[in-house]
Amino acid sequence: MSDLDRQIEQLKRCEPLSESEVKALCLKAMEILVEESNVQRVDAPVTLCGDIHGQFYDMMELFKVGGDCPKTNYLFMGDFVDRGYYSVETFLLLLALKVRYPDRITLIRGNHESRQITQVYGFYDECLRKYGSVNVWRYCTDIFDYMSLSAVVENKIFCVHGGLSPAIMTLDQIRTIDRKQEVPHDGAMCDLLWSDPEDIVDGWGLSPRGAGFLFGGSVVTAFNQSNNIDYIARAHQLVMEGYKWMFDSQIVTVWSAPNYCYRCGNVASILELDENLNKEFRVFDAAQQDSRGPPAKKPAPDYFL
Amino acid sequence: METEVDKEILKTSGAELLPDGRRGLRIHGWEIETLRGTILTSLAVEEWEEKLQTSHLPEMVFGENALVLKHLSSNTKIHFNAFDALAGWKQEGLPPVEVPAAAQWKFRSKPSQQVILDYDYTFTTPYCGSEVIEKDKEAVEEKANSKGEATLQWKKCEDQLDLAALSLKEPILFYDEVVLYEDELADNGVSLLTVKVRVMPSSWFLLLRFWLRVDGVLMRLRETRMHYVFGKDETPTVLRENCWREATFQSLSAKGYPVDLAVYSDPSSISQRLPVIKQTTQKLKIPREV
Repeated sequence: MSDLDRQIEQLKRCEPLSESEVKALCLKAMEILVEESNVQRVDAPVTLCGDIHGQFYDMMELFKVGGDCPKTNYLFMGDFVDRGYYSVETFLLLLALKVRYPDRITLIRGNHESRQITQVYGFYDECLRKYGSVNVWRYCTDIFDYMSLSAVVENKIFCVHGGLSPAIMTLDQIRTIDRKQEVPHDGAMCDLLWSDPEDIVDGWGLSPRGAGFLFGGSVVTAFNQSNNIDYIARAHQLVMEGYKWMFDSQIVTVWSAPNYCYRCGNVASILELDENLNKEFRVFDAAQQDSRGPPAKKPAPDYFL
Repeated sequence: METEVDKEILKTSGAELLPDGRRGLRIHGWEIETLRGTILTSLAVEEWEEKLQTSHLPEMVFGENALVLKHLSSNTKIHFNAFDALAGWKQEGLPPVEVPAAAQWKFRSKPSQQVILDYDYTFTTPYCGSEVIEKDKEAVEEKANSKGEATLQWKKCEDQLDLAALSLKEPILFYDEVVLYEDELADNGVSLLTVKVRVMPSSWFLLLRFWLRVDGVLMRLRETRMHYVFGKDETPTVLRENCWREATFQSLSAKGYPVDLAVYSDPSSISQRLPVIKQTTQKLKIPREV
């Protein structure tokens, strides 16, 4: 058994790698990711997955439902880390699979694959807690910069973490972005990872936060037509039912973190596309509490004032 | 979370746990219960949006979660739920708060036909609980009561919460915390409304807390505390204290406090740093019998 296969087995038991193993793995991953396009071409059949957010045991459920990699070809649409308890093991397993089976798993970048966001929402703290230093966080966040921004399945389904950008009309415009950087606060790359579809606008909307685009149905129609796309698949937003179509089936949100943050009670889904691009959503629940390992959080009664 | 409480202590306190797996207890004429469910389904979201006349709700609305305190002999019910809290948000309608990145965005070229949304995405609410006298299972809302029957009214008072009594380490017979709603502000901070309760042999005490942190901009804490001491007065009286605190990151930094976000994850530990902007104490006299 090769070192890599051994590491994959170890990670599947939710046991993190050593710091030096992470460093070596990231170096190998970098060599593979740097060759990928900003709009990575993916062949069908493929299974599309949304946000995971460090919910390692729920991702194991996902593999049970969708089949193991490499037998099943996977496309993960970002947000591997933050919020859940096992961002380290989750991301490293996906990365190890990527290195071992580069043509059977595609990882595209989510807005949480960022230095700034991970410092606030958990991944940074988790690395510090599990390794006693921030080196692993550094290796991983450096890898984030190399991850592709989007993918296109058989030239017909455009996959991206967040959504569209007013600065992007064509896939070729995405291909010209210099992606090897921290996610910027504005511009096309930022929009692809952050924007959301919105029912109440038709064209473009600006979030009340003063940053962040919302896009309506006519924007999606125009994009799909000019790029000869059937529909857009994206992640980024929690949906109780695991997936949600909008704008007459021109865009679908896929959410793959069941019982999000261990309390929302939502189901998750993955979207299976066969070789003819026929769709099947596979909906799944969270892993059983007892198979989920340690953090069985039961706060003691608290003399709050 | 449910905890195991010594049966003997429950018995000597005159309390009994609720049957059938319900979370809560009966004690001295009160029934105190927490309810839990999942976040709203997409269908329920649509219904709520219509009822509340809004097109935006927090990302996670726990529509079935509630804390309910019933005074059994008077059918008085004090309860906490997400719907009423969001009705309060809708009514207050604060102007939106810009995030730091907004400054840069002003220089971006605007797409044609851009709409600027202007609802209060922080879901700030003045909500401090709901109360009602239930009659023949038909709830008669306090405000809707026009027949001059027994009504519930909070009245301003000078009393203060008895922190000394609340600091005693009496056994806790029942403790729970439920989330009413939560939003991640699209990773720009947190907006969280929760309510927690603890019931001791001598009293019950609860804390409803709205906690908002817009990263790099401001923090807002709106807390409602209620305390009820069993069998103290002729007329059962609940004491309520509302305390609103708020500070910008800029003002904290000017005072020499750190503005590192990691410091501001737990509102309990930093609330003292946030200046009080409003504080009131009120009493609710509960009719003894119906």
